[in-house]
Amino acid sequence: MPTDSTTTTVQSLAEIPAGRHFRIQRVRGHGEIRQRLIDLGFIKNEGGAVVREALLKDPIEIVIKSTHISLRRSEARLIDVEVTD
Amino acid sequence: MNFAPRQQRHRYGRFRPKSGAGRKPIRIALAGNPNSGKTSLFNAITGQHQHIGNYPGVTVEKKYGRLQFKNELLEIIDLPGTYSLTAYSLEEIVARDFVIKEKPDVIVDVLDATNLERHLYLLLQFQELGVPLVGALNMSDECAEKGICIDQEQLSAILGIPLVKTVGTRGAGLSRLLDTAIQVAKRELVPDQRHLNYGVDVENAHNQIIDWLKTDAAFIRKYPVHWLAIKLLENDHDAIHKIKSEHTEAEKVLSASDHIRRRLEDHFHDDSVAIIAQQRYAYSNGAIRETIRIDRSRPALDWTERIDRIVLNRFLGIPVFLLVMFLIYQATFGLGNPFAGIISHWFTHLAQIVKDYMPAGQFRDLITDGLIAGVGGVLVFLPLVVLLMLGLSLLEDTGYMSRAAFVMDKFFHLFGLHGRSFIPFMLATGCAVPGIMAARSLVNRRDRIITVLVTPFMMCGAKTPVIAMLSAAFFSRRAGLIFWGIWFFSWILALMMSLLFRKTFFKGDQSPLVMELPPYRWPSLRSVMIHMWQRSLAYLRKAGTIILAAAVIIWIALNYPKASSNVAILTPPPAENELILSVSDSTLHYSFAGQVGRFLEPVLKLAGFDWKLGVSLFAGVAAKEIIISTMGILYGIAEEPAVSLNQSHTTSVGYQIRNDPSYSPLVAISLMLFVMIYTPCLATLVIIKKELGHFKWALFQAAYTLGLAYLLAVIIYQAGTFFQHILL
Repeated sequence: MPTDSTTTTVQSLAEIPAGRHFRIQRVRGHGEIRQRLIDLGFIKNEGGAVVREALLKDPIEIVIKSTHISLRRSEARLIDVEVTD
Repeated sequence: MNFAPRQQRHRYGRFRPKSGAGRKPIRIALAGNPNSGKTSLFNAITGQHQHIGNYPGVTVEKKYGRLQFKNELLEIIDLPGTYSLTAYSLEEIVARDFVIKEKPDVIVDVLDATNLERHLYLLLQFQELGVPLVGALNMSDECAEKGICIDQEQLSAILGIPLVKTVGTRGAGLSRLLDTAIQVAKRELVPDQRHLNYGVDVENAHNQIIDWLKTDAAFIRKYPVHWLAIKLLENDHDAIHKIKSEHTEAEKVLSASDHIRRRLEDHFHDDSVAIIAQQRYAYSNGAIRETIRIDRSRPALDWTERIDRIVLNRFLGIPVFLLVMFLIYQATFGLGNPFAGIISHWFTHLAQIVKDYMPAGQFRDLITDGLIAGVGGVLVFLPLVVLLMLGLSLLEDTGYMSRAAFVMDKFFHLFGLHGRSFIPFMLATGCAVPGIMAARSLVNRRDRIITVLVTPFMMCGAKTPVIAMLSAAFFSRRAGLIFWGIWFFSWILALMMSLLFRKTFFKGDQSPLVMELPPYRWPSLRSVMIHMWQRSLAYLRKAGTIILAAAVIIWIALNYPKASSNVAILTPPPAENELILSVSDSTLHYSFAGQVGRFLEPVLKLAGFDWKLGVSLFAGVAAKEIIISTMGILYGIAEEPAVSLNQSHTTSVGYQIRNDPSYSPLVAISLMLFVMIYTPCLATLVIIKKELGHFKWALFQAAYTLGLAYLLAVIIYQAGTFFQHILL
């Protein structure tokens, strides 16, 4: 599992390993999926954490605004984040 | 300018058309996020006095109940649970259209008090609709456990709406909630109609759009103008549609609002949807920070996380899921089948009593073989439906259903399905009826349709004896392998067909798996029981009427017109088997079904079937196990009542046809595949119609499976014959 040093470079949420915390930069994409993510609290500057991944590393479980949310990696790819810990 | 919604509400509130005679009830709509405990609150308020219908024109379920509370007649409407009020899901459109068009007297927004920031996000949107609101701080008992202190008065003052603490599962705080709602509905308590301030730039843009909207005075009396302006800023397609079709200056309004939105987006370097959502969350967050204190000295034990460490563990997740499914399956079929057997026995017995007491004749046959067998055929499923609904509501109410989807999603996603599709498939290996009912847990309609359309391919309890009989008769030593092969093929076919549907008719974005994994909660017994009871009743009502009629029609098709020798049929069965079989045989021969079967024989022959098989397969549409008993009649084995199949009977049919020269192992394979795939039984078709909301789906299901089954059977039979010729 890649555990390279904490950088402030922007990555997609799909690249963040389980156990790491992140801060959201922006949500890309459009239409329904983007609206869903935003409504669930994936908004700019919001902090969260990757809790775990399923057997084939997809989907993943995220905590955001004290709610656990599952996302497919393809959906997580729409979210730009920076690692914070 | 923000008072526009209020004026409009007054106007409509007073002149709402009277509905029928009697006192007009106060109409209270319950709204809230999924997992806010809204359903248990609704159940606690309405108890047994609930009705289930659909919102007009859509398949979204509408639950409502009437009750007398103190001196008031109340009508409680349970709006669909949503996170937001966008135009992207039917549920959200239904919820907001209900508020705009039906104008309930008051909306009670159910909030999870332990997670207010998220739940206020929806409340703010209802506030924008300009409706009288009351907030229910639900699950307030959990707040105490978690050391969360809410300054209720302060929060109520900030939001400008009355708040009441409730515990839906225990029914606490309900009468205060209803008292408050009634006061608001009667305008004895007037909630503040302010809405959140989106900041100078958004507000300016918003006010400009309002000015444009006001160019049509009739239009702004119909819709909350403030809300519409926000929706136009969000580029909401349903709002745009409303303007296009009803606003006199539609084009000007839309081009202006487009322009205003673009300017705003340029200014913020972000799009309007994100800007507005950020403002809502910022407001909600601010309100929380001023009013909520968390007592850190009492860190709560996070049971949910502890359980999820096992249940959602990368390697344990799937075994745990399979175990849970196994238990549900065992509970449904293990406990249900004996009851089903008892019910079936009662009906056989009832038919016998009628036979003993009524004079022999065609009318008696209609009652025993048509009516009683038909009703019996429906009631037999009832224990399965009841138990399954119990199991499913437990899975749903505890919060496990989302975990199951999480664990299974990857595999099913490959075939264009959703993680939750597994449960219908699994259950359909027992019976397709509960399987299709279980597809309700798929929120997205496209996912639900695809899942329902392929679910009947599973080998159900009724197809099992047919396949088992044929494989045993023709492949004695390899019967197990053949049986397994057919079973495996049905799974492959189901997955392939769903992939095909996804790539053709249901093209487009697959529904996202963005879903909440709610904290585990004990389900309330009341909610589970109410749920189970309603589903079972609905099954009986819908299925009972249609299946009954169809069973009678099929019975008539198999028995009429009678051959000229029909006197012989009505005589009691003699001891010798020979006589009955020739007589029953001739009945079928001359019946409508028999005539159609013989007419279609040239077509059937391509798949290797003769007219007798055609008739058996036709009869099998009533219920798949009937295939064996019909073949029994045609091949001269004393007939048993269709539902009670015993082992020796099954094998004797098999023995009989194996010795028939017109059958070969090849025909048997082609027949088995046909039985696995072709038109599902009536009960299944009726449930498909009910669950998908339209007859066309049941018809499409019947037709495409029939076509597919025939095509595959012909390919197998013709290819097999061809190779046999080459090899021999």
